Order: sequence, then C-alpha cells, then structure tokens
Amino acid sequence: MRARRRQAAALALPAAAVFVLFSVVPLLSVARYATWRWSGTADPVPIGAENLLRLLRDDALWASAGTTVLFALLAVPTFLTLSVVIALAIEGVRAERFIKALLFSPGLITVGGSAIAWYLLYNPDFGVVLELTGFALPWTTQPVAALVYVVMFTLWAQTGYGVLVVSASLRGVPREIKEAARVDGAREAEVRRHVVLPMLRPTLLFLTVIGTVFALQSYTAVYLLTRGGPFGSTRVLGYYLFETAFERFELGYGAAITLFVMAVTVIVAVVQARLLSGRGARETMR
Amino acid sequence: MIGMRLLTLVFCLFVALPLAWLVYAAFIPAEALVRANIATFGVTLDNFTALRGSGLWRAMGVSVGSSSLVVAAQLLFGLGAAYAIRNGAPLLGGVMVLLALPSELLLVPLYRQLQGFGLLDTVWALVVPFLASPLVIFLLLQALRRIPWEVVEAARLDGATELTIVRRVIAPMLRPELVASGVLAFAAHWNLVLYPRVMTTESLWTVQAFLTELLRTRPFEWGLLGAAALVASAPIIILYLLLERRLIEVFEAGFRS
Repeated sequence: MRARRRQAAALALPAAAVFVLFSVVPLLSVARYATWRWSGTADPVPIGAENLLRLLRDDALWASAGTTVLFALLAVPTFLTLSVVIALAIEGVRAERFIKALLFSPGLITVGGSAIAWYLLYNPDFGVVLELTGFALPWTTQPVAALVYVVMFTLWAQTGYGVLVVSASLRGVPREIKEAARVDGAREAEVRRHVVLPMLRPTLLFLTVIGTVFALQSYTAVYLLTRGGPFGSTRVLGYYLFETAFERFELGYGAAITLFVMAVTVIVAVVQARLLSGRGARETMR
Repeated sequence: MIGMRLLTLVFCLFVALPLAWLVYAAFIPAEALVRANIATFGVTLDNFTALRGSGLWRAMGVSVGSSSLVVAAQLLFGLGAAYAIRNGAPLLGGVMVLLALPSELLLVPLYRQLQGFGLLDTVWALVVPFLASPLVIFLLLQALRRIPWEVVEAARLDGATELTIVRRVIAPMLRPELVASGVLAFAAHWNLVLYPRVMTTESLWTVQAFLTELLRTRPFEWGLLGAAALVASAPIIILYLLLERRLIEVFEAGFRS
C-alpha cells in the first residue's frame, strides 16, 4: 500500500516541478531582485535597500493603491449583487441554459477582440453608442468615468463566472426546506430572502475572495482600455507594476513593487480568511 | 421578481452588444464608415482580405501552436497531480494558493528566470512556465472525487500499476471533464495579453499582442479591427459553440459546495 501511495504521488512530480521552477522559485527570488538597479538587459547593480525606501515616498504608488481599493469597492459588491440576482432570476426559466452560455462567453472570447469592440462602441468621440443615443461615458477625459468604464468591462467579462457559481450552490438548497417555508405561508420573496439567501452565505464569501482576486488582476483590462489614464485615474497596482518594470525599464524597482503587492495580497487574504473562519465559528456555536 | 428579471434582461443585452458588434463590424464596407453612417447595411469581405500581410496569420500560428501545446501538457500533468492528491499527496494547499495568486506578481521574477534559462524571446517562453495549471488540477480533482473509488481498488487488485490505472481507468471516465478543462485552459492561455508582450518581441507576438498593437496603430479602421478581432476569436467561439453545455456543467460541478 505504501509503495502504491508513492507510485501515485510520483504522478504529481511533473506538475510540482513546473510550479516550483516557474512560480515558487521566482516568487522567492523577488526579494533579491528588489535590491538591484536593473534595466532588464544590462547586468544588475546591487543597491541595497534603496528600492524599498523608495516605495515609502513614492506618491504614485500610494495613489495607485488607493485606485485599486476604489476599483474593488466599486466592482466587488456589484459583482456579488449581479451574480445573486441573475442566478435567482433565471433559476428554472426555460432560457436558463442560453442565458448562462451568453453570460459565460465574454470571459472566454479573445480579450483583445473584446477591447476592440468596446473601443468602437463606447468611444466618447465617435463611438456607436454615442451616435445612436447621443450619450457616452466620457472615459477619455473624466477620471471617475474612466474607472467606472474599466469596472463595467470587468463586470462584463466576469459576471458569468459568478452566476455559474451561485447557480451551482442554489441547486444545493434542499427543496423540502423551501417547501416547508411555503407551507408555513411565506411568500416567494420571503422564501428567497429568509431561506435561500442565508444558505448562500459560504458561496458569497467565496465569491468575495474570487472577486477581490479579479480586482487585483484588473491590470489587463486597464492596459487594454485606458493605459492607466486619464491623469493616472485607472492606474491600478498591477498596471503600475507593469508600467514601471516594462515601459520605464526599472525592473529592480518593479521587483520592489511586486513585494508591495504581495504584502497587500497576503494581508487581504489573511483578513478574508479570518472573516471566513470567524463567521464559521459563530455559526457552529449557534 | 419582475424587477430581477428586468435587470437580467438588461444585463444580457449589455453582454451581447459588444459580441454582436464584433461580428457586424467585421463585414461592414469601408464607405459606410466614411459617410459616418453605421446604419448603412452592406456586407463585404474586403476587411478580411485587407488583413493579408498584416502579420495576423503569423500571430495566429504562434497562438494556436503554443496554446495547444500548453493545453496538452496541462491536461497530462494535471491528471497525474489530481490523481496523486486524491490518493493523499499533500499538495492541495499549494495548488489553492497558486490558484488565488494575482498573476502580475510573476511578471518581473519570471522575466529574470527565463533570461537565466536563455528562454527569453523564444517560443518556449510562451510554453514552459504554463505546462501545469492550478485551475485544471482543481477541476480534475473535483471530478475525481465524484468517481466511485471501488473502480480503482478493483483495478489495483487486478495488479494494474498506478500509471495504468490513470491511463486506462481514470482518463476514460473523466473524458468530459478533461475536454471542458481543456477548453478553459486553452482560453486562459489564448487570452494572455501582457505576458507575451513582455517576454517576446514582435516576431513571436501572439494574436492578443497583435490585436492590441493594431488597435494602437490603426484605431480608425473599424472594419479591419472588427475582422481581425473576429478571426482572433474564431477558435474559441467554435470550441465554445461545440462544447458549451459540457463546459458549463463541469464548471458548475467544480464549484458545487
């Protein structure tokens, strides 16, 4: 049996090797790269803690962190609400399968192509939506509008995932419990609010975590749509990192920013994990 | 409920609009745009012929080749890893951490790593770091947990090696999940935008890198942009139309509790 287990474990070796070589080792090496002045092509020069100290007085970095928080505050609650509302609204409807397929598709279809479609549709100077309705979101000039625009694109691409996850857990709600509430005279809206919604809580917490990860990764959407502008209003942390390292070719400082983002990610993850387990503990005590 | 349905309808239209536009724009004649009259109906293939020599087809080749290679490896290695975890290998925690890792954290250190291996600006930079995927492992593991384990025990009693069990017993049973995870993995790799721009130069650009460059250099040629976007989306659209039901089922099943 032990030989068996070892045999089976050996099957994980190729994947483990890839992860160690191309995720774990690079992540551990970041701390060393952060002590370099390094353009990416020439040999790196060790400069000690200079990059790390620069983090503290880099106003653009802190502004970027603020933008990321604002982005998450706009995107995550909307993502949760849309996922739950849509999943509830289409439960058992004849078009359920079609709607799910539609909502899931933007996340798969070529992001570059989506960006082109969005650019041509929503451009505030000559976009199709402007021509048809006379109104367009002024995302090229107004900072807030630009952030809303990137949030809309992200919701457009990702809400399908949320709907599928909520819909999957809706199927886990036992029919008898809903029936019992109806027998007790609860109206449909009450059944949803007082019976179904509380049972979705673990799913909602899970989606909050996923939604936060999406928000931290929103730099691709920013790159495609606004390149951080106007006036840096959409420069989320991931985009600032990319810009510093690969457009200004300060990879050493880019490594320092990577450390910063890593710290933010860990703090967010710990806080969320504590919230998750805290609620779980209270639940079992009841 | 009516309010919720209405919101759903509006959101569906919001999602469908860019997709519909993508298809429409690819076929509009250039003169319809000159007159700034988008309601002029007319269908032309000129936009597609205009793409000849633009580098799109070369980029398509790079993308199709590297994404296919990556998917094959991710399924192969992912199946092995998922089976090992199902048998008690303590790797699940690590996989979940990698699954939740924001990808931008790897840009700088991976650049150095690939530079050290001499892989920078080679096609291998697009392939080697992606040979295993936490998402694929997670989805396959969820599927493995639904398989009645007596099947595996029986095969063991018959003296089959673990490798044979995976190849002859597990793989056929997980075929739907392998197909579905494969499509998701293909889409994930196909849709990388910044990574290929950072790690390779123009001759190795993937179709996404090509599209973003086209949008930057020729922002007013709507028809050309639409056609390029449609061509670049075609492989995924076809895969999705063929396998949509299975894909959604597997994805949902993976997240059921």
